[in-house]
Amino acid sequence: MINALRWLVFAVAAFAMNFPILVTLVTSFKSARELSTNPGLWVYAPTLENYATVFTVSDRLNIFLYLANSVAVAALGTLLAVALALPAAYAIGRGRLGERTLLPFIVNLRAVPLIIFAIPLYMMFQWLALLDTRLGLGLILTIVNLPLALVILVNAIRDLPGELDEAALMDGATRFQILTRVIAPLCRPAIVTSLIFGFITAWNEFLFGLMLTTSKAVPITVGASFFFAASGGGVQWGVASAVMVVGALPPVLLGLIMYRQISGSMTAGAVKG
Amino acid sequence: MTTLSQRSPSSEFRLLATPLVLFLLVFLGFPAIVNLIYSISDVSFETLRQPRISGLSNFAAVWNDSAFWQASWFSLRFGALTAVLECALGLFLAIFLSPLIEKRSWLMAILMLPLMVAPALVGLMYRLVLHEFAGPVPYYLWTWFGASFSFLGPTSAFWTLIVVETLQWTPFALLLFYMAYQAIPSEIVEASAMDGAKRWHKLWYIELPLMAPTIVVALLIRFIDGFRVFDNVYVLTGSGPGGSTASLSIYIYEAFFKQGAIGKAVAASVILFVASFAVLYGLNHIASRRKGAVK
Amino acid sequence: MGTISLRKAGKQYGTSEIIRDLDLEIADGEFVVIVGPSGCGKSTLLRMIAGLEQTTSGKLLIDGRDVTTAPPVERKLAMVFQSYALYPHMTVRQNMGFGLKLTKLSADRIKAKVDAAADTLKLTPLLDRYPRELSGGQRQRVAIGRAIVREPVGFLFDEPLSNLDAALRVDMRLEIAKLHRALGATMIYVTHDQVEAMTLADRIVVLKDGRVMQQGTPHELYETPANLFVAQFIGSPKMNVLPCSRSGEGRLDLSGEGAIELPLASEAAPVQIGARPEHLFLVAPESGHCRGTVEASEYLGGNTSVFVRNPRLGLINVSAVADSPFRIGEAVGIRIDGARASLFGADGSAIARRQAA
Repeated sequence: MINALRWLVFAVAAFAMNFPILVTLVTSFKSARELSTNPGLWVYAPTLENYATVFTVSDRLNIFLYLANSVAVAALGTLLAVALALPAAYAIGRGRLGERTLLPFIVNLRAVPLIIFAIPLYMMFQWLALLDTRLGLGLILTIVNLPLALVILVNAIRDLPGELDEAALMDGATRFQILTRVIAPLCRPAIVTSLIFGFITAWNEFLFGLMLTTSKAVPITVGASFFFAASGGGVQWGVASAVMVVGALPPVLLGLIMYRQISGSMTAGAVKG
Repeated sequence: MTTLSQRSPSSEFRLLATPLVLFLLVFLGFPAIVNLIYSISDVSFETLRQPRISGLSNFAAVWNDSAFWQASWFSLRFGALTAVLECALGLFLAIFLSPLIEKRSWLMAILMLPLMVAPALVGLMYRLVLHEFAGPVPYYLWTWFGASFSFLGPTSAFWTLIVVETLQWTPFALLLFYMAYQAIPSEIVEASAMDGAKRWHKLWYIELPLMAPTIVVALLIRFIDGFRVFDNVYVLTGSGPGGSTASLSIYIYEAFFKQGAIGKAVAASVILFVASFAVLYGLNHIASRRKGAVK
Repeated sequence: MGTISLRKAGKQYGTSEIIRDLDLEIADGEFVVIVGPSGCGKSTLLRMIAGLEQTTSGKLLIDGRDVTTAPPVERKLAMVFQSYALYPHMTVRQNMGFGLKLTKLSADRIKAKVDAAADTLKLTPLLDRYPRELSGGQRQRVAIGRAIVREPVGFLFDEPLSNLDAALRVDMRLEIAKLHRALGATMIYVTHDQVEAMTLADRIVVLKDGRVMQQGTPHELYETPANLFVAQFIGSPKMNVLPCSRSGEGRLDLSGEGAIELPLASEAAPVQIGARPEHLFLVAPESGHCRGTVEASEYLGGNTSVFVRNPRLGLINVSAVADSPFRIGEAVGIRIDGARASLFGADGSAIARRQAA
C-alpha cells in the first residue's frame, strides 16, 4: 500500500520534472500541420521532417557548426581545466600548499556570479582578437570548470594513503614522477568524473557563449535560440523542438552513462589488510 | 640530479601549482583590475582604451538606479524561494522514495535527467510548453477547465520562473539528500529502534539531525545558483515584463550590451564581486570555526 | 656497509618537541628495535632516518656521510610501511621494480633482480598479480621484496606486522629474523609490541616522550631495567611494583607488611621494589615476604595468573603453576626471588644492587 503510494509519488515527480523535455521530444515529431491543431502530448502522425529541416544548412542557421563549436569548446574547457587542476590538486592535497588561500578562493569562484568577470573578459578578448573564437570560449569555460574539477581531485588525492607517496619517495621518485606514475593512475575515476562533469557543464553553458560569440564560434545552446527568432510566420515549434532535442542529447547521454560508472576506488585492497 | 634532489619538497609542489596560478592571474586577475579601473572611469565603447578617471560617479549611478535595487530584490527573493522549495521537495522525495531507489538505481537516473539539460534550453522548452497556441499546458487548461492564464504576465512571470527553476533543480537536492540518507550508518538507526523509536522519532531525532550539514550545504548552493540566475530567465522572459524579472546578472548584462553603460555595468560588477566574496569568506570562516569547535 | 648515527638529533613541530637531542649509533648489520608507547616519537624517529621527516636539529650520518638534509633516495635506505603502501595499480613485479625503473636500469637487469628477490621470498608465482588479489601476509612479503630489490644499505620497518592476525604475525616475525640473518643488512624496526622487540632485536631502544629511556640487548633490558618505565614496559605480564623503604643495612621494609633482605651497592634509598610475576612464589601465609588474599585467578593453560590483594601493597600478580590449589578469598604468602628483583629510587631510576653470591 505504502509502496503503491511511493510509486505514485515517483511517477508524478518524474513526470513534472521531466515535463519540458517530454513536451519538446513529442513536439519534435509533430508536423507543422498537426501542431496547429494538436498541442497535446500525443503524436498522431509522427514525422522526422523537423529533424530534416534542422540538419539542412542555411546561410543563417548551421547546426553542424554549432555542434562542432560546442564539442570543441567543451573539450578544450574540460581538458585544460583538468590538466591545470590535477597538479595543483596534488600540491594542495599533499603539499598542503595554498590550502587556506588558493583552494577556498577557487572554490568560492564556483559561487560567484560569473557575469562579474564577463565584461572585462569581453574587452580583453576584443584586444586579443579572441572574440567569437573557439579558443576564447574554451579558455573561459576552463575557468567555469576549474572549481569543481579542483575539489573533486583534491578530495580524491586526500583519500589516497600518504604512505603511497612516501613509498615512492623511498623508491627515488620526484614529486612530478609520483604525480604521473602513482597519483594520476590511482585518481583515474576522479579524473574521469571531473572530465564528464566538466564536459556537461561546458556544453550547457550559455552566458559566455551569448556574450563572446556572434557567428563563427556560436555553441549549440546559443545557436538553438536562433531557431526561435521569429522568421516571418513566427516560431516553427517543431523545428525548434528538434534543435533542442539535438542540443540536449550529448550531455544527457553522457550523464546517464556517468551515473552507471560510479565505480569503487582502485585503492581498495591495496592498503590495510 | 643534485639540483633536483636538493630542491626542497615544497618548491616541487609550488612548481606543480604554478600553471593554475598563472592561468588565474591572467584570466581573473587582469579582469579584476580592469573592473576596478573602469568602475571609477568615464568610459564608453568609443573610449575603451583611454578611460578617464571620474571618481565614484559610476557607483553613484548604480546606487541611485531603482532598476539595480529591483534586480537585487529579485535575485534575493528568487534565490531564497527556489532554494527552500527545492530542498524541501528534494528532502521529501529522497527519504520517501529511497526504498524504491535502493533496489532500482535507474529510477534515480530518470529523476536526474533535468540536471543534464542546459538551463538555457530548458528555458526555451518552457517557451514552447507555455505558448498560448502550441503549448500543451494552456491547451489542457483550456480543454479541461475552459480556463486561460497568462503565465508570463506581469503578476505571474515571477512565480512561473520559480516553478521552472524549482522543477529543474530539485533533482540536485534530491541526489544530495539521497546520498546523505544512504550514508547514515544503519547501526545508529537500529540502535534507536532498540531504544523504542517510532518511524517519526527516527526521522526527527536521528536521520534529520545527521543530514543537517548536507541540508545546509544544499540550501547554500541552491541559493547561490538561484541568486546569480541568468540563462533560463533570460531566454524565457528577457527581463520583462517591465524589468520585473531582471536578476542582477541580467541587469549587468543589459547595462553593458543593451545600454552601453560600461561604467555602470562594471561598477555593479564590482559591488557584486565584493559582496559575494565578503559573504562567501564569512561563511567559510563560520564553517571552519564550527569545525574547530567540534574537534 | 650500513652504519647509521644520530648525533643530538631533534624534531620540532612548531613549539612541540617530538624528538630531543637523541644520540644513537647503529652498527653495520645490527637489528635495532625501537619500542615505546604510542606517541613516544618512534615512528617520527624512523621517518627522520628515512628522510620523510626533516631533522630540525642535530645530525644524521649514514656510513659516515652527513645526510641530515638529503632527500630519501640519497640515503639508500628502504622502508616497509605499516600499511605496506603497495602501488594498487601495479602488479607485484611492477611494484618491486618501480624504484629500479626510476634509476633507468635496463629491463633485463630489473627482471633479474626482481626474480631473485621473489625467489628469496617465495613470491615467484604471484609476480603477475595485483595487490588486491593478495592476502595480508603476501602483501607484507611484497612490501619486503620491494625493499630488498634495491639492495639498500639499511632496512626500515614501521610496525610492519600490526595489520596481520596473531598467527601470521608469528610466522612473519620468524621470516623477518631469517631474512636478517640471510642478508646481514642493518635493520631498524619500530613497534609498540614488546614481544616483537624481545624476539627480533640485537638491541632494543626504549623511547618515551622523544627520549631514549634505555638501550641494550633484550636480556639486559629484561634483567636490569634502567628505570621504572622500562621495567614495566618490557616483559609480559607487567612487573609488579611494591612500595618499600630502607629499614637497615641490606634490609627493606615492605610498607610494614613484611621485609626482605637485599644487599645494596650504594647508600641510595629505594622507594619501590620491582618483581616480575614469574619471580614471585605463592607459599603458606606465614612463610613469605608478605601476604594477602587471592582476589582473582586467570587460568592460562601453561600457568595461572593469581592476583593477590594486600591492603597496602595493592594488587600483586603472581605467575603460579597451572593447577595451583589456591582458591579465591584464601590467605596466601608471597615469596620474592630477591636475586632477580629490581629497586627504584624516588625519581624512578634503578638503584644498583650488590649481587647475592
